[in-house]
Amino acid sequence: MFVTAPDRRLARDLDPATLAALSALSERTRPVAASRTRLLPVVPELAGMLPDGALRRGSTLTIGRPGDDGALSLALSLVAAASASGSWCALVGHPALGAVAAADLGVDLGRLALLPRPGAAWAEATAAVLEGVDLVVLCPPFAPRQAMARRLVARARERKAVLIVVPGRAGWPEPPDLQLRVDGATWEGVDAGDGHLRRRRMTVTATGRRSAARPTHHRLWLPGPDGTVATAGDADDPAA
Amino acid sequence: MDRLLVVRCPDLLDEDEGGAVLRSFAEVIAAVEAYCPWVTAVRAGVCSLPARGPARYFGGEGALADLVQEAAEQVTPAEVGVADGLFAAVLAARRGLIVPAGGTPAFLAPLPVAALGQDDLTGLLDRLGIRTLGGFAALPDPHVLGRFGADGAHAHRVAGGRSGELADLRQPRVARLLVGDPAEEGPAVTEPGFWGGMSDADARAARCLSAAQELLGTDGVVTVRLQGGRSPAERARFVTWAAGGPMRGAVPGAARSRAGGSGAPWPGRIPEPAPAVVHPEPVRADLADALGEPVRVSARGLLATVPDRLSVEGGPWEPLSGWAGPWPSDERWWSRSRRRGARLQVVTDRAAHLLLVERGRWWVEATYG
Repeated sequence: MFVTAPDRRLARDLDPATLAALSALSERTRPVAASRTRLLPVVPELAGMLPDGALRRGSTLTIGRPGDDGALSLALSLVAAASASGSWCALVGHPALGAVAAADLGVDLGRLALLPRPGAAWAEATAAVLEGVDLVVLCPPFAPRQAMARRLVARARERKAVLIVVPGRAGWPEPPDLQLRVDGATWEGVDAGDGHLRRRRMTVTATGRRSAARPTHHRLWLPGPDGTVATAGDADDPAA
Repeated sequence: MDRLLVVRCPDLLDEDEGGAVLRSFAEVIAAVEAYCPWVTAVRAGVCSLPARGPARYFGGEGALADLVQEAAEQVTPAEVGVADGLFAAVLAARRGLIVPAGGTPAFLAPLPVAALGQDDLTGLLDRLGIRTLGGFAALPDPHVLGRFGADGAHAHRVAGGRSGELADLRQPRVARLLVGDPAEEGPAVTEPGFWGGMSDADARAARCLSAAQELLGTDGVVTVRLQGGRSPAERARFVTWAAGGPMRGAVPGAARSRAGGSGAPWPGRIPEPAPAVVHPEPVRADLADALGEPVRVSARGLLATVPDRLSVEGGPWEPLSGWAGPWPSDERWWSRSRRRGARLQVVTDRAAHLLLVERGRWWVEATYG
């Protein structure tokens, strides 16, 4: 919108309350407009573990844990909100995705491309999809060399995509912008023969860089009883 | 590429009007399923199963092939073979061969181009003096793409053993008929077109996924849809990704399907939440009671003893911290020898799994990763 000279004179004559309201409005809208291009949304339950409260385009995250339990679920729940709002996602190097679980976590399967067995070409394939897909979840089938990892991180930054690495046993030699670790994953709902798996409690520890370098801890149900992610309170949760 | 065992029944390749051929073929599948519950009907008279997991149970691929052949031949004459990828495995079955892992390109090389079953391509190559799959495979990629187009390029990858199967190898109608899958194919909702109606983001994604397909082969990039079914594996259908093809909304209302609610149409369905990892190939498991004896399931689908410990793929025993079930998996209603199976959820210190038991053998079907 352009402002003509008479309007500008008019603005100077406005009463102070209107001016304050206008400037408050511009303060509120400007950062949102800027962040829309810079950030990709996550579900509110996960916002707390991300320094920006959302996924910053161009950044790299790793999700690690000593075993395998929970890392893939966390990766899928991180891409869910962006996927549901129109972003494309790709899952590279995971040959055994549970599609129902992904859909229940909120991932739009219509915008999810799977490259289940990229084999030796996994790094090239990842670089290719980073060209045009907003979020890439990578499970490297082989241990990446540092130069290779660095190239992919640079590609994500340059293409303003988000690269989420689930290193598993292969490892990831390049320090990420944000490191998430899943600890203490415990299932509830089964006893000796009774019930069924209902939900899994886990603690996610987030370690960022620079100002976000102090680890923060976040307790989640992932998945919760309805297959989505939920924030977990103290041990005796009344919802149990 | 997947290691596949193929059973080919020469007398059952052509369907008849009365359906007798498909009924016999259903019996073959039931017989083969005694050795592995992951049998897929490829087309009339041809079925396949992943060889790796079952071979571990039965003492190698050769022993597995013998057992499966014997079982199938109780119904009808059968040929059995093993190779990497479906195309080569079907050809191996016709010759009764077990092609060693990695040996598929060498196995395919001397076979005639006509084995691809594409008359136009065979004619074109014949005029170039190329008569074997090996000769075709030796042509450089860019040359093939330019001269024979995308279909030819895919056939070229298959001929060289780099890609597993040709697009028209399967008859999905037969597969649906034989597994009693009531999920209709449904009218595919085609996107308004590549250039119209597609957002910038969709077009960018389409371009880079095509690039990935050039790198990995057409079937290297897939997408997934949900459908009806009892087990997590049945509820997902993976299809090769196609630019501008039916993508979003191909299965109306399936984006979030829930087991709960009033009319859950699948008795025996495992309660939510769904497992994040569904193994595409059966993973061998051993489940034992406190005395170390294998846990058995009665004919009525009940556990005969209490599960105590689990071993995955012959690995170390892990104590169970909990388990639930069993849920009966009485599928394949058409089969005379109904499969009596059951599913069980088990939790160890490291993970929670969904196990499937059939005829006394345990498999890890999915993992709550």
